Amino acid sequence: MKKFIALMLCTVLCVSSLASCRRNESSNDPNTLKVAVLESAYGSEMWEKICDEFEKLNGGMTVELTAEKNLEDVIGAQMKGGDYPDVVHLATGREAALTETLIKDEALTDLTEVFEMTIPGEDTKVSDKLIPGFTDTLATNPYKDKKTYLAPMFYSPCGLFYDADLLEDNGWKVPESWDEMWELGDEAKKKGIYLFTYPTAGYFDAFIYALLAESGGIDFYNDVMNYKEAVWDTPEATRVLNIIKRLADYTEPTTVANSTGDNYLKNQQLVLDGKAIFMPNGTWVVGEMEDAPRREGFRWGFTALPAIEEDRYSFTFFEQCWIPKEAKNKTAAKEFIAFLYSDKAAEIFASYGAVQPISDITDSLDGDNKLFYSVYEDGAKAVMGGFAATEAVAGVSIYDTLFESINSIMTGDKTVDTWKNEIIAASDKLRDNLK
Amino acid sequence: MKKPRAFIFFCIAPALLLFLVFMVYPTISVFVMSLFKWGGYSTSRAFVGIDNFKALLSDTRFIGSFKNTVILLVLVTAFTLVAALWCANTLTRENIKAKGLFRVIFYIPNILSAVVIAAIFSAIYDPSSGLANSFLSLMGISPVMWLGNRDIVIFSIAIAMIWQATGYYMVMYMSSMAAIPESLYEASDIEGASRSSKFFKITLPLIWTNLRTTLTFFIISSINISFLLVRAMTGGGPDGASEVFLSYMYDQAYTNSSYGYGMAIGVVIFVFSFTLSAIVNLITKREPVEL
Amino acid sequence: MKLYKIFIYTVLILLAVTVAVPVLWVFFASFKENSEFYGDPWTFPKGLYFKNFVDAWTDAHMGDYFLNSVTVTLMAIAMLLILALPCAYALSRFSFKGRTLVKGLMMGGLFINVSYIVVPIFLMLTDLGKLLETSFFLNNHFILALIYASTALPFTVYLLQSYFSTLPAAYEEAAAIDGASPFVTMLRVMLPMARPAVITVILFNFLSFWNEYIIALTFMTKDSSKTLPVGLMNLMKAQNAAAEYGKMYAGLVMVMLPTLILYICVQKKLTHSLAVGGVKG
Repeated sequence: MKKFIALMLCTVLCVSSLASCRRNESSNDPNTLKVAVLESAYGSEMWEKICDEFEKLNGGMTVELTAEKNLEDVIGAQMKGGDYPDVVHLATGREAALTETLIKDEALTDLTEVFEMTIPGEDTKVSDKLIPGFTDTLATNPYKDKKTYLAPMFYSPCGLFYDADLLEDNGWKVPESWDEMWELGDEAKKKGIYLFTYPTAGYFDAFIYALLAESGGIDFYNDVMNYKEAVWDTPEATRVLNIIKRLADYTEPTTVANSTGDNYLKNQQLVLDGKAIFMPNGTWVVGEMEDAPRREGFRWGFTALPAIEEDRYSFTFFEQCWIPKEAKNKTAAKEFIAFLYSDKAAEIFASYGAVQPISDITDSLDGDNKLFYSVYEDGAKAVMGGFAATEAVAGVSIYDTLFESINSIMTGDKTVDTWKNEIIAASDKLRDNLK
Repeated sequence: MKKPRAFIFFCIAPALLLFLVFMVYPTISVFVMSLFKWGGYSTSRAFVGIDNFKALLSDTRFIGSFKNTVILLVLVTAFTLVAALWCANTLTRENIKAKGLFRVIFYIPNILSAVVIAAIFSAIYDPSSGLANSFLSLMGISPVMWLGNRDIVIFSIAIAMIWQATGYYMVMYMSSMAAIPESLYEASDIEGASRSSKFFKITLPLIWTNLRTTLTFFIISSINISFLLVRAMTGGGPDGASEVFLSYMYDQAYTNSSYGYGMAIGVVIFVFSFTLSAIVNLITKREPVEL
Repeated sequence: MKLYKIFIYTVLILLAVTVAVPVLWVFFASFKENSEFYGDPWTFPKGLYFKNFVDAWTDAHMGDYFLNSVTVTLMAIAMLLILALPCAYALSRFSFKGRTLVKGLMMGGLFINVSYIVVPIFLMLTDLGKLLETSFFLNNHFILALIYASTALPFTVYLLQSYFSTLPAAYEEAAAIDGASPFVTMLRVMLPMARPAVITVILFNFLSFWNEYIIALTFMTKDSSKTLPVGLMNLMKAQNAAAEYGKMYAGLVMVMLPTLILYICVQKKLTHSLAVGGVKG
């Protein structure tokens, strides 16, 4: 059948191949490195510079850069057809979940040796520069086998963003515990200001991860991430879900309506306008809302989550860079990733606001970023990672069940019990399919 | 006429061949893939028989998307049909100024891309500054969360779809109404027939064949357009409340790394729309009215 | 009686307004500066900010994409007509073995949705590409147009065929008596008579090819070969990055304008030809 179709198609095509015909450049050239990156808040210019620098270091090497805002759509189809980039910079936790798909399909290259490599143009090893802990997480070692498949990139602390000036104006303190948080919520309500809003339900990932760590400690957090049996049936877990439930009473009422589709900027606008106090977010929000009008005197504030008992946590979000298993030019790809941790590269990234997880980098930051990255120095503990990789289970997604459901909790369409039972059911199914 | 065999062959063959290559063969491979478990990128594909279909039966999100698709099919078809028939009949039968202008304007939504429509309706449904809520507050009604309320969101999508489709079907009905000879109406004028009896006794029976055809189009296009609008307006949210067939298929095939499962949903969509059209065709069968 | 007239006008005008306002709104929005998008969406632009269009056209390459879209759409429509007209004509005029089967298959094709066959088509062509060791099938506007034309066949053949069957056979019989071959008869006698239906086909397919996104995205992987809707999508997808609303709406207008113009040009002819499956069925 295939041969027949091939033959017929050829005849059709040969007749008319004189029409427009743009050919791909050949992709098997060992001196060509294909790099595909997500064009995120930091823009694509810094990647052009990085590629230039890498080319300078490696005479004769050409870097072909693809930078797209919808990278998944662009390289997804290409990869299905067998045309793989050599290096991909694309984080997990994105809506299209392409990186997760490749993890589930075991289609990534083992990068463990990259961290033992000497950084091109320097004489230190990658692992010596990397901030400890970044390569011990499920977000870098998804199969729990001590092997690193995803290189940590651009880290940023997550927590609650607010208008520091609004709080000062009203003589309110930044709450350090959830009790203080609720008190502030009641106070603010009297003035017609809501305590809380969120861009989309997806932004609860870092929020819930940090809450889980606060509630039960890091070991408990890791149990949840590994879908440990009955872990959601504990008081520690229930406490977390109940906090979300209680937040519903303090959440700005248009939040859910604007949390779907492309309207989430309207929720972030609520904080800028002084209509809601806190929102969970990442450091990119500053650039994202750059052009937006704001309350007079507005000043970004950032805090870790209020404590449930004593410890306060801030989830460290970072992006990932990886090499597809099918990549043609793995040697150069590994060199390239190692180069991303060089001082030169880090400096280029930092000038666009992207912070590499290497030591001493925070000293060189200024402005808002200094405030954000100092959260760990101010006593908040860091939590990293994400859910363990599983086989794909049709119709089951922990992200939908755990985070998307929050929209229904907010509107009161789902009770905490139903939510909990759904999480347990999803968690059970995924545990059976752990890698 | 003698049958010019060679001529017929050369007329049919190229179109048929391309149709087989680019539509029939891919459809067959969708059916085949629906029997496999495959993530989309790995080289291993495991044959799982009808497991994917079995899993569909207990997948609440899929059942939800099925329900939403049916709601949209029924609502959009019913309202669009009535609105389009009324507009077509009014513009054809009544003595109206600027007929042409109305006809042109009503058709415009149909030529806009789904992205534009989604942008327009997102602005209309905005909870605080949207037109819909501004209008409600004029009448003293408290604001409605058009896209944020689980119970309402699917109806908000339906409104956008009706807005989009009415003009298209109106123009279709108008063209078959225009073919009805004026003499029939003149005859019933003499009998003193009312507006509505003229519509039900003359117009409707005479455009029946056309109307039946459009019912099939309603089914096909509702499934397609609901997907485009849902993806751009709500992404299936909040919490899956506006998920429809194709959006859920996309979600599973690409986002949840279950390509085979997604294709099983594709099979269901194909079989469902095909069967439904057949049933609708059967129950709307009437003896054609001869002029 | 009078009252009903008033009722009719009120409803018609209301409907017209609900259509016109949102469309005008898109045009107005395309002239706004980025900061104007954060407030009330229903205000008029403060000035005519043409830079949006310049930015979209050059910086976002919408100009190049525009050209690509024109090429692909025109090629696809030409191919479609060349393929579908003879096919529809033969199906409606001659009875032959397998006619019911071909008709039935084409009818069934109406129910196939491009959204789920796009990946199988892609895999088929890349497999073929590997077999022949060529990357001819990707980033090729001709292939894209061919896929467009092929997937539009069922609807187009269906529409043309039902139109042909409403045309009287007398002309062809006369032509046959004059000794014209079937090909000449089709070309000289029937096609001119089918002009209104052809216009309808062109308009409908122009709309769907021009706005098509999913196939184009899958097959046009190179920046230089993208079409307009794909480019537009890239302007919109800006998660976690400062949104460029002005450019986006300028892009929307660029996508919308040609369809509007084409529609206004052909709308008069549209009504006369749209009797799909006509009164005589």
